[in-house]
Amino acid sequence: MTAVVEVAGLSKHYGGERGSRVHAVTDAGFALEENRIHGLLGRNGAGKTTLMQLLTGQEFASSGEIRVFGQNPVENAKVLDRVCFIKESQRYPDDFRVKHVLATAPRFFADWDEDFADELVERFRVPVGRRMKKLSRGQLSAVGVIVGLASRAPLTFFDEPYLGLDAVARRLFYDTLLADFAEHPRTVVLSTHLIDEVSNLLEHVLVIDEGRIIIDADADELRGSAVDVVGPRGAVEAFTSDREVLHRTGLGGLASATVAGLDEAGRTAARDAGLELAAVSLQQLVIRTTIGESVDPTKGTPE
Amino acid sequence: MTTMTAVSAPRSAPSRVWRIVRLITANPTTTVVLPWAILGTIFLLNWLIWLLIFANVGAEGMTDAQEGIQWSGAAFYIFVYMLVLAVQAINLSFPLALGYGSTRREFSLGAGLTFVLLAAMYAVGMTVGAALENATGGWGLGGTFFRTIYFGGDQPWYLQLWIYFCWFLFFFFTGTIFASVYVRWKALGLIATFAVVGLAAVGVIALLTLSESWNMVWETIAHLGVVGSVSVLLIPSAVSALLGYLLLRRATTRG
Repeated sequence: MTAVVEVAGLSKHYGGERGSRVHAVTDAGFALEENRIHGLLGRNGAGKTTLMQLLTGQEFASSGEIRVFGQNPVENAKVLDRVCFIKESQRYPDDFRVKHVLATAPRFFADWDEDFADELVERFRVPVGRRMKKLSRGQLSAVGVIVGLASRAPLTFFDEPYLGLDAVARRLFYDTLLADFAEHPRTVVLSTHLIDEVSNLLEHVLVIDEGRIIIDADADELRGSAVDVVGPRGAVEAFTSDREVLHRTGLGGLASATVAGLDEAGRTAARDAGLELAAVSLQQLVIRTTIGESVDPTKGTPE
Repeated sequence: MTTMTAVSAPRSAPSRVWRIVRLITANPTTTVVLPWAILGTIFLLNWLIWLLIFANVGAEGMTDAQEGIQWSGAAFYIFVYMLVLAVQAINLSFPLALGYGSTRREFSLGAGLTFVLLAAMYAVGMTVGAALENATGGWGLGGTFFRTIYFGGDQPWYLQLWIYFCWFLFFFFTGTIFASVYVRWKALGLIATFAVVGLAAVGVIALLTLSESWNMVWETIAHLGVVGSVSVLLIPSAVSALLGYLLLRRATTRG
């Protein structure tokens, strides 16, 4: 396995004064393997777009190192020729209609597939003659998705690609991405906060919160990494007293705790203590991890 | 499952620049059709006005009126339009070009090339207009639209072409510098730039007035002639182009 993206000690902050300085990305370090679908998950404003702009040379890092295809991406035509990043808030020239986007994009992507693009236009029902400014939010997202898919860029970023798309179009995007990825493997980074919808697509997950990478793991590993332990309050508290608890809730005499890294022995012990085990979805895991210290873990316990 | 990652040849450096030209001119309505259509309309209105003036001044005022029309600024619109076009092209194509994976350097070169080509195209068009104006005796009325004082009046066609070309370049690259400032620092930077440019202009005027050097300025311009004077415009154009690139080199696609 080779890493397409390697990042070490990466920080990006805006503004000079110490007080007003905004830390968009803080000390990030990770690697993205080639030909996998990576999820970049996090809340709005967590730093997802800034991170992707740094990786594509659209932003300049304050400190740290970025290697994309082994080189610094900033002003590097060799690297950027292999990258496609249509951001969620992408601006287009005022006089552009959809057809102008579709006509200009192929010159920028060596592997652009014209037939595939036409097919996607049909499937997503995008009006090619309409001005970009007049498109609905969903149609605008669809154009970004079409360019991203048809570009077949070796490193493709999708930034919140589902915004404004209806359920049918979202499903269509996920299915098309998977099918095309199978035939044309490439490295995909999908930034999203709708985690449940894409969790089956993802092979690797990065979770960013307040500019920091707080989870960097394979999706499979994550899916089994936490378990909800449910049962009488006393039993749950006794069981979790010496374990890592991500989140607790309680209702009357019942309590539930999300326990990290529960192994087979632990599971057996929980069952023996009369507790029930429930799987934690990726989305729940991310929510419980990103809520983090800002919520008092005992808050769920009513008195 | 078939694995067929097409390994396409990397794009050549010229094609990386040329695609920016194609990006900026993707919709020719804005860059070609509309400017000529508006210029045509302005011309038609001017022609009708000449018709009215000449019908009213009578034979004795005719020469005066025709001389006065040589100072007509009607065709000036197209130069201002090109300034605006340059601003729009840079401000709105820059983020898309970067999203497509272009470098700032390629974008700047491509934008510069676009403006040189458009300047050439418009210079040719205006020169053809000037030749027609000459051949038709001022569109049958002795009017002046293309061959005004600012653009050299009576010049051989190749000098006329050069004069127009220099003027167009000047307006395109003046637009470039303001657009680059805007892309880099947004409205605040633009206001600051206007303030600085305004102060500098007032300063130069004050200096020339206090030192009573205006005559020297007019003499220099007279000495250089129209062709020489507009050729001097190439210097600020080149400086603007270079400054524009230096500004864009560190610009981001934020907001």
